[in-house]
Amino acid sequence: MQITRSGLVGLILAALAILVLPMLAGGQWLKIFTSTTAFALAAMGAGFMYARLGMVSLAQVGLMGIGGWVTLRLNHAFNLPFEANLLIGAAMTSVLGMILALPALRMRGLYLALITLMVAGGLEIIFTAYQFPNGGDGFWGVGTSFSATMRRPFLGQTDAGFLRYALVVALLGFLLIEGHRRSASGRAWALIRRSEAAALASGVNVTLYKTWAFGLSGLLAGLGGGVLAGSLGLLDASTFRASESVLLFALVVVGGARFWLGAVITAVLYRVAPGLLNNWGVDADLALVFFGAALLHAVITAPDGLAGQIFGLFSKEAAHDRA
Amino acid sequence: MIALESLTVRFGGLVALDTVSASFTAPVSGIIGPNGAGKTTTMNVISGFLTSAGSVTVDGTDLMRLAPHQRSRWGLRRSFQREQIADDLTVEENLWAIADNLSGSRAEKRANIATALEFTGITAIRTKPGAALNTFERRLCDLARCITGDPRLIMLDEPAGGLTVEETARLGGLIGAIPGLGRAQVLVIDHDVDLIQRICAETLVLDFGRRIAFGPTAAVLADPAVKAAYLGIEVEHA
Repeated sequence: MQITRSGLVGLILAALAILVLPMLAGGQWLKIFTSTTAFALAAMGAGFMYARLGMVSLAQVGLMGIGGWVTLRLNHAFNLPFEANLLIGAAMTSVLGMILALPALRMRGLYLALITLMVAGGLEIIFTAYQFPNGGDGFWGVGTSFSATMRRPFLGQTDAGFLRYALVVALLGFLLIEGHRRSASGRAWALIRRSEAAALASGVNVTLYKTWAFGLSGLLAGLGGGVLAGSLGLLDASTFRASESVLLFALVVVGGARFWLGAVITAVLYRVAPGLLNNWGVDADLALVFFGAALLHAVITAPDGLAGQIFGLFSKEAAHDRA
Repeated sequence: MIALESLTVRFGGLVALDTVSASFTAPVSGIIGPNGAGKTTTMNVISGFLTSAGSVTVDGTDLMRLAPHQRSRWGLRRSFQREQIADDLTVEENLWAIADNLSGSRAEKRANIATALEFTGITAIRTKPGAALNTFERRLCDLARCITGDPRLIMLDEPAGGLTVEETARLGGLIGAIPGLGRAQVLVIDHDVDLIQRICAETLVLDFGRRIAFGPTAAVLADPAVKAAYLGIEVEHA
């Protein structure tokens, strides 16, 4: 398997981040970096759907909520290790993603985006109405006055350890996407993006590969949600509003959907930028104004986003660099 | 043999194909006609993109019973008026995208793809990404895709669109040589009557969704009804 230059840079950066980042950051920043990692997983899912298949998914943060919900629910209901909760949560989000894809399979472009937005809206209502499990009774598991503990993985008991754990999960997520991109699925997706007629004429089972893409994207969102649940121990419905899904997608375009770096930039903008503004005593909502300007910049002059521009500085071939 | 049997397609009130029948037996055959005659509609019916009354039988297989992607696995290939090369994939990966969906071992597929690249003369640019190809290279890559995986029927929709005279001549030579590669029969749609005359032994002429002539190309092109359709002359019907 060939490693491209940008891929090599990514692997080195990931190794550095796993080793050094938890040592440098302290207190609140450990949690911010962990949730940045969780959102990078979700951004990856939305990004590859957009860049490789040309499909816009505006429900990615809502799907994270599903992953988080299932992970929390399993944690409080059974005595399974964190890994099992995380994987089952991700798998269930993946299945739900595929089911949600079914009505969307005949849709394209704007109509597909609208369907996913409606899904995000529906999930927002459900999360707001029922809240997230905190160890209470019944199916929804919500108690009013107490909060049971969220078990963490053996290797990630401390906040620093859990950040390392989350970074490893994110790295595996990137490798999963990259492995797909280089195999038959990636080639089928590229044809579907070119045109569905061309894909059908090449013998691609368009329904299968589109559903699989939704499932994979859902899996990444579910992993992100589970990691977030593990980091915080409690989730709040306001994190998973439909508007958050739309914002995340907009930042995916700003960051650059074709590159691994794009997902990292997306998550940093989404999660770190507001925190920084807060630290500087500026209203965090001001970030939305910057994001709007950045989105205009990306749409008008940088179709490959900030990541595309950064790689462009280092390599003339960046426009065609497919990692 | 490619047997089209009373194909009829209606779009609302418009009859796009009106009981068109033809049996192509030549290794390379053509379909010509003015704009809107139903050429591409015929191709879309054979591909399975449009439903139609009537039947399409190729070498005894009823294609109407197969879904579009199953027809490709059976051995149908087609190109489109605008070539369909995926920009993010290299030339070679564009061919793999077809081979992926066929049965057979990886080694067989690799050998098959190498043959297709060699035949079309694009082995040297096999690692170039689709986005970096020029018009002629894209057409050649499209043709290489069509001969990947030992196909039974290849349909080319205006393969020479946008090419220079020399490029068209080279492409025509390649299309004419396809039957020598294996079992494939070729159907070509084009406006370029010179190209059709050069490579197609049999030709079907359509106008307003109707068959106005079918048979050996030279005879068909000499037919007054065909000349009328192309030049817009009214013909007195006895």
